[in-house]
Amino acid sequence: MNAFLPLVRTNYRDFVRDRTALFWTIAFPVLFIGIFGIVLGRGDDGASYEVGLVMEDTSPQAAALGEVLSQFEALELTRGDRESEIASLADGDRRAVIVVPSGFGASISDGAPQPLQVHFDPSQQTTQQVVIPVLLRAFEVADRALTQTQPMVTADFQTLQSERLQVIDFIMPGLIAMSVMNGGVFGAIAMVSLRERRVLRRLSATPLPAWALVGADVTFRMVVVLLQTVLLVVLAVIIGGVAVRVENLPALAGVTVLGGLAFVAIGFFLGAFAKTEQGFFPIAQVITFPMLFLSGIFFPLDSMPDWIRPVVSAMPLTYLGDAMRQLMVGGAPVHSMALNLGVLAAFLVVFFGLAVRLFKYE
Amino acid sequence: MPVIEVRDLRKAYGDLQAVDGVSFDVSEGEVFGMLGPNGAGKTTTVEILEGLRIRDSGDVRVLGLDPATSGREFKRLVGVQLQQVALYPRLRVHEVISLFGSFYEQQADADELIALMGLQDRRNARIAELSGGQAQRLSVALAVVNRPRLVFLDEPSTGMDPQARRNLWDTIEGFRASGMTVVLTTHYMEEAERLCDRVAVMDHGRIIALDSPRALVRASFDEDAIEFVSSDGLTVDDLSGLAAVTSATSQGSAHSIFSSDIPRTMGSLLDLAAERGAPLEGMRVRHATLEDVFLKLTGRTLRD
Repeated sequence: MNAFLPLVRTNYRDFVRDRTALFWTIAFPVLFIGIFGIVLGRGDDGASYEVGLVMEDTSPQAAALGEVLSQFEALELTRGDRESEIASLADGDRRAVIVVPSGFGASISDGAPQPLQVHFDPSQQTTQQVVIPVLLRAFEVADRALTQTQPMVTADFQTLQSERLQVIDFIMPGLIAMSVMNGGVFGAIAMVSLRERRVLRRLSATPLPAWALVGADVTFRMVVVLLQTVLLVVLAVIIGGVAVRVENLPALAGVTVLGGLAFVAIGFFLGAFAKTEQGFFPIAQVITFPMLFLSGIFFPLDSMPDWIRPVVSAMPLTYLGDAMRQLMVGGAPVHSMALNLGVLAAFLVVFFGLAVRLFKYE
Repeated sequence: MPVIEVRDLRKAYGDLQAVDGVSFDVSEGEVFGMLGPNGAGKTTTVEILEGLRIRDSGDVRVLGLDPATSGREFKRLVGVQLQQVALYPRLRVHEVISLFGSFYEQQADADELIALMGLQDRRNARIAELSGGQAQRLSVALAVVNRPRLVFLDEPSTGMDPQARRNLWDTIEGFRASGMTVVLTTHYMEEAERLCDRVAVMDHGRIIALDSPRALVRASFDEDAIEFVSSDGLTVDDLSGLAAVTSATSQGSAHSIFSSDIPRTMGSLLDLAAERGAPLEGMRVRHATLEDVFLKLTGRTLRD
């Protein structure tokens, strides 16, 4: 059929000359990835936290403690007097302030050690989660140095992944799955618009077979979804610092197309219920919006209550997100890959069948 | 052998009998018009002939095929122009013509068609930028992109200014000159009179008259018409009683009197008006038209 390529070209022209479509398929996901990448981006591994050290004791023990603390790369020590350091903490210039009280060294020699005073702002989450554990570890090391003992129990933590996954690694594949969903479902708007404008009816008066029309549309849609995914993966690496598994990229492309086809089929199905372009938007929103929040894109599935599990299991984005996460960053599987692919294929077949049955030229 | 044969065609939408027993033939090389007001059943009839709608009953043969069952084989052979198609708004004129051309094995040259429809200046314009008349000309161009033997034009001059309409008429006469058969719906009687070899006058899903425009007029009117506006006092009965009057119609204050002897009728009309003190404005004498035929047959005007 020599109308196939001209139809794909028509779709391309219609798409690139439509600023709104360009925004939603390219600029919007790029913005999303950009914002998440900057906010949640993989922290610099050499990151250090400003901590104030107030020495009110001049004993050798106190000096040794200061020496140990200063060797911790994660801590950027500033020495000062109590008043100015507490003031800096209040201003947010310090994560914590350690006060070594006077008589600290003497109390150790007496066998009744005085505790250090640690000031911090509990409303700062990273302080609680990151700085305090670092300090505890530092005190432990200092303790051993002062008492000259060897640790008995040590541990070497091995993670499942070559590199420990951070929030950004969890979010990025989900965002890419989200944009595949939007590209597929909202891509069906082109067909709704053609019907609304009676172009489909005009085409039905030509010998153009329906498969060529639909095939060209779906082909173009898949090219867009693939390019979108490539762009977003690259951005996830550059902006978010996500460690993408390069060897899985061909499989990721395959999953993108399978997921894209499933969502295009869902879009076509929904398109059968919309008379106009304007009418299609709310229908598509109602379907896609809950999936954003319940498919494990932003929140892990195991953080959700049990009663919502059946809903989650019925959402195709759950399976696409899981498959992409496994392939892209080696995320822990929620479902087996076979189940993910099987469910997506089932959505594709069922909804494409329904869409064909419900399809109207007018 | 006729290009189109229609026998007792019927089509209903729910309770509405849109086409109610229509029969006619169209011969090769003819420009065949379907004239009638909106809702008369013209478009439904034509869309059944185009293979876009399925009839309830009746026999239809177009180019020897049944459009309802012949599918793509049939669609290759005919050209179609539909009402109210808003083509891809972001495509350019020549791009749309090439796209439609790609659906057919046999296709006309895009630039030739653009020239034929007088769209040279708009070749690279986007569809959204075209005026109503230009978009209409493009849709006629698309109807002949496959060089069909038979072309259906559904109200092709809608939205055109008078000059563009005259140009379109020249183009359609060019189609006929090249041997194409044209089926045309319209509610402009002037268009039907100028273009059509034969006209089927439709109303309420039926053909109420079918002949050449001249024969239709002659069958209804041997006479010429006096037209005038009178705001006051003159009734159809008054006018029908004037000398040599064969019939009279009134639409509000606008009156038409058909007369077999214009001077005698005119004399008695002036006497009557003087007697009643009734004003006579915009008086003119003209030949009867298809519009008069339609009014006489249905009691309504084409644009009701």
